[in-house]
Amino acid sequence: MATKNIVIIGNSAAGVSAVEGIRTKDRESKITIISDEQFLAYCRCLISNYLAGTIAEKDLVFRDKNFYSENKVELLLEKKAERVDTKKKRVYLEDKTVIPYDALLIATGASPKMPKDLKGINKRGVFGFRTIKDTKEILTIASISHTSCVLGGGLVGLKAAYGLHKRKQDVKVIVKSNRILSQIADKQASELFFARFEENGIEIMLNTDVSEIIGNGDLKAVKLDNGKVIGCSLVIVGKGVSPNTKLVLESDIKVDKGILVDDYQRTNINDVYAAGDVAETFDVTTEKYENNALWPCAVEQGRLAGSNIVGENVQYAGSLGMNSIEFFGLPLISMGIFDGEGETMSYLDKGKGIYKKIVIRQGRLIGAVFVGSIAKSGLYLRLIKEKADISKIKDDLLDENLNYAKIAELVKEEEKIYI
Amino acid sequence: MKKLYYDVSKCLACKSCELACAVGKSVAKELFKAINEEVKPQSCVDVKTTGGKNFPIACRHCKEHPCVSACIAGALSYDESKGRVIYNKDKCVGCWMCVMVCPYGAIRDNKELKIPIRCDLCADTDEPRCIKACPMGAIMFLEEEEFDKMLAEKKVNKKPV
Repeated sequence: MATKNIVIIGNSAAGVSAVEGIRTKDRESKITIISDEQFLAYCRCLISNYLAGTIAEKDLVFRDKNFYSENKVELLLEKKAERVDTKKKRVYLEDKTVIPYDALLIATGASPKMPKDLKGINKRGVFGFRTIKDTKEILTIASISHTSCVLGGGLVGLKAAYGLHKRKQDVKVIVKSNRILSQIADKQASELFFARFEENGIEIMLNTDVSEIIGNGDLKAVKLDNGKVIGCSLVIVGKGVSPNTKLVLESDIKVDKGILVDDYQRTNINDVYAAGDVAETFDVTTEKYENNALWPCAVEQGRLAGSNIVGENVQYAGSLGMNSIEFFGLPLISMGIFDGEGETMSYLDKGKGIYKKIVIRQGRLIGAVFVGSIAKSGLYLRLIKEKADISKIKDDLLDENLNYAKIAELVKEEEKIYI
Repeated sequence: MKKLYYDVSKCLACKSCELACAVGKSVAKELFKAINEEVKPQSCVDVKTTGGKNFPIACRHCKEHPCVSACIAGALSYDESKGRVIYNKDKCVGCWMCVMVCPYGAIRDNKELKIPIRCDLCADTDEPRCIKACPMGAIMFLEEEEFDKMLAEKKVNKKPV
């Protein structure tokens, strides 16, 4: 097989998994990874643990130097890819270096959405929360700060709040909407978590927005839309992320919210692939193209893109929203569509802190939420992904005894182990 | 690359495998000491009954291993040469992503220890403890080819009634 010159932009879940996908088949092709960060591949989802002090910086690394040497990868750190020319097949870096490619994988991830119109957003002490660098700067200020504000009640905002709380900060979470975790939990589940945060001394202000960030250069306070002013020296913005598509906007690569890819992670341009948080893939539950910016999706997509770059023809089963998180000992797993349309079945035991909900549409499971009791949630994910007809076991679906044997006939058996 | 296989026609759901497994996961590795341990050891295998048959359910060390892809902490990896999913406790943060994606529901959350309960084929010994514990010989530790051969023979021997 002819060797290729493969260039990967991005050194996180998708980029690294792509290397693994490539090297299962092809040991020879040249691989170059370009990353604008200064660190080896690290567990981005764990920066809140790093913030909290429960994990050391060195333990965030999930692929060390050996990975790059063993896989013969040339790693270019602290280099920002600025532009892609798909006709000349070249990547242009900010430092004017030009890198030619035969095959290109764009795995540039996403960046925190910062409310550009908010007065004072550029003051020192206001951060997004995405990288080790962000976390280090936050930690420096946290060591001299007493009060911190978090804007946004989503996963990232609350993880930041949790981490800051562990660092003995007085944390106020300011949430524009009427509930927290609205992207990953239904109303009932978010109420359970709201109570858990309040019990643990993190104040959450719902239906409240920040109207101004006050200070001369350095942040001193935030002003809320109800006129109240909170003195603080640290603000973390957790208002979602947007895909890092800037480097392709002048090219002819098709971009919607993220870079659009087909079931093989190919963009509309030959030899250009995209994977991970920057990509928009077909979602099996919404049946639309979605930007499911999730670690497991990034790993799967990256691996697949890598395999397909070296001539395998592996089709992606599609992405779907799924999240697992635990705050103050209360775990949450949610997946698919769990709000709105469809027939709903649920079980709530407030005393035990257990809540389960499933959503069914036309005899098929499309979503689920589990709080407090999360064992076997993978079975539900499987039923959703495989669009299995669950009418036969509908009444058992919320039973804690649901198990693989019960659903075995409804799903595809990959590897036989029973006789 | 031996894996666990189960003859469900023999399994009585006596749960001897569960007991042996839990003891194996205890600190003392002895039943009467294990029951007094502060954090009760838990079995990785879970025997469930459905349609009149009993199914021991445990991690299969799948060739596709969604738990490894989903692990946000790099605590799970796949050893191609051994055909096993390997777990590194030092890296695990108890995020339960593996629980969320296991297609067999074979990984549970140990809430006290904040670690996944998952069959490691008794990595500390030569052979999974459940095999000797099973009084019916329903649990087998075989190469994939051996099992395939067994499946094929079973089909041939099935005489029409």
